[in-house]
Amino acid sequence: MTIRSPQNLIAGLALIAIALIAIWAVSDLPQGSLRIIGPAMMPRWLAIIVGVIGLLFVIGGFVVDGEPLERWHLRGPFFICTGMILFALTIRTFGFLVAGPLTMLLVGYGTTEVRRVELIVFAAAMTAFCIILFVYILDQAIPVLTIPGTSIKF
Amino acid sequence: MFDLFSNLGLGLAVAVSLQNIALCFVGCLLGTLVGVLPGIGPIATIAILLPITFGLEPVSALIMLAGIYYGAQYGGSTTAILLSIPGETSAVVTTLDGHQMARQGRAGIALGIAAIGSFFAGTVSTLIIAALADPLTRLALVFGPAEYFSLMVMGLIFAVVLARGSIFKAITMVLIGILLSTIGPDLTTGQLRMTFGIPWMADGIEIAILGMGMFGIAEVFRNLEARTAGTVYRGRIGRLLPGRDDLAQSAKPILRGTAVGAALGILPGNGAVLGAFASYTIEKKLAADPSRFGRGAIEGVAGPESANNAGAQTSFIPLLTLGIPPNAVMAIMVGAMTLHGIVPGPTVLTRSPELFWGLVASMWIGNLMLLIINLPLVGLWVKFLQVPYRLMFVGIVIFCCIGVYSINREPGDIIILTALAMFGYALSKFNFEPAPMTLGFVLGRMMEENLRQALIISHGSFTTFVERPLSAFLLAVAVVLLVIALSPAIKRSREKAFVESDE
Repeated sequence: MTIRSPQNLIAGLALIAIALIAIWAVSDLPQGSLRIIGPAMMPRWLAIIVGVIGLLFVIGGFVVDGEPLERWHLRGPFFICTGMILFALTIRTFGFLVAGPLTMLLVGYGTTEVRRVELIVFAAAMTAFCIILFVYILDQAIPVLTIPGTSIKF
Repeated sequence: MFDLFSNLGLGLAVAVSLQNIALCFVGCLLGTLVGVLPGIGPIATIAILLPITFGLEPVSALIMLAGIYYGAQYGGSTTAILLSIPGETSAVVTTLDGHQMARQGRAGIALGIAAIGSFFAGTVSTLIIAALADPLTRLALVFGPAEYFSLMVMGLIFAVVLARGSIFKAITMVLIGILLSTIGPDLTTGQLRMTFGIPWMADGIEIAILGMGMFGIAEVFRNLEARTAGTVYRGRIGRLLPGRDDLAQSAKPILRGTAVGAALGILPGNGAVLGAFASYTIEKKLAADPSRFGRGAIEGVAGPESANNAGAQTSFIPLLTLGIPPNAVMAIMVGAMTLHGIVPGPTVLTRSPELFWGLVASMWIGNLMLLIINLPLVGLWVKFLQVPYRLMFVGIVIFCCIGVYSINREPGDIIILTALAMFGYALSKFNFEPAPMTLGFVLGRMMEENLRQALIISHGSFTTFVERPLSAFLLAVAVVLLVIALSPAIKRSREKAFVESDE
């Protein structure tokens, strides 16, 4: 058997994976009856349908000619995702004054066109701008600076 | 008739306070500011700006949201005209002639006629909303769970048929959207579903986070590889007010665009997206010299932009009267309203008329703001387009982080955002559209609730959906639509229509 549409084949496999994860995740919940539907009914049957569609995609991948896989460019997603996760980890413990610049400096490397000095200046300016806008003008509850182990907190 | 005006009067009385006007203005301003960023469409804009309305009272928050909404729409048109980057599907048409006008040094006129046409369309559709709200709300009151369920099925089928690309893929996306909506506590028993024991998954996924991830960050990923977003606008805006000739040429297209857009916008399922395409096709057919289209014909901007705004406005009708969002943008608006404790639907009009009519009136004010304040400021927005993308995307990411964090003050939400962004990027690599998924996501919870109630009433019998005449009718429409869309002849012309609009 030759693969005639790699894109459909992989998409199908991914759909089956999603379906299996969902079915596993609701496996310990009651399904109920049609009269009184339980918590697992909707997700389980949706997952089964998604899985069947996935199977059709897999079969289609061998039967129908289709598109090749597209290239992924992972530089952007890598730096941006790492930056955002870092933001999630530091915003509570250290506050925006640390989390903001840290995230922006990392995220900025998501493009090959990055210029270091420019990025540092931009990150500093944006940090000040965001604190003024969101904390002082819009009155959002975003921690500005906390130093762990001390009672310093803004 | 008298009712209509007294109702609008009530609405204006609510909306026209100094504070609300100011909020509407600020909303419009910020909406355009974010909406004008390349690649950021109305969905991502509303999601990013949603947190700033949190401290406000419901009426004021809604009014500000309406401002953000129109600002975002107009911001999308601005990037479409100046940079030829459409923020959403319906803006694709505007890029055709709008961008050509900009290249001929008539950018200002294109922006001006878009704003004027939008304002006219907005005024007419505000009146339509006011006239239809009452009868439709009464219709909603005879809807039981079975009818609601069938109506949502029909809406989703509409959305599937109108999505670009494969119908099969669109159906898959709708199903995944509904599946995602079941994450979190069960509606009746409160048991946690698919949260994997993670505490910050316990409430499920917030629609605003979905919007930011799938339409904001994922778009940044795509832009970073495509580099088209690196385009910086260097041209001049020129005169903003169209001359007498331009106005004479645009008058009829604006009228026709408004009619077409308003009618299509009322449809459940993403009818509004068709408006701009339909209007463009009509204008091209009616034109004495169709070859001018695609080379900067002002009718090609005036008509579709009016249709777009009319549709954007009348798509509030299914939301406000039936509680059913017809497209992804409205889906985000539902999320926004729910966060403020307002459940869109027939009860809004019956229980808090001042809220309802206040919103309707503020839509019109939002449109007016756009014309008289935003338009002259367009030079300022263009300055933002001169910020290189290598810095702009950093700003977009940090705004999303702050936005997501301030919804629940939950760092875990940012992890969800990251996952959804990667998912959105993967979808684009396999040519799946995120819009039907967003709609499925929002309708999912309501569908499950109504399905359960309908089955409790019918003692577990599915025949209730075809025995009740209204429900049977709605399902029949859905089936007919699907069959038509899948029939070979229509399929071919449908593919052709979307390909043409891509060029």
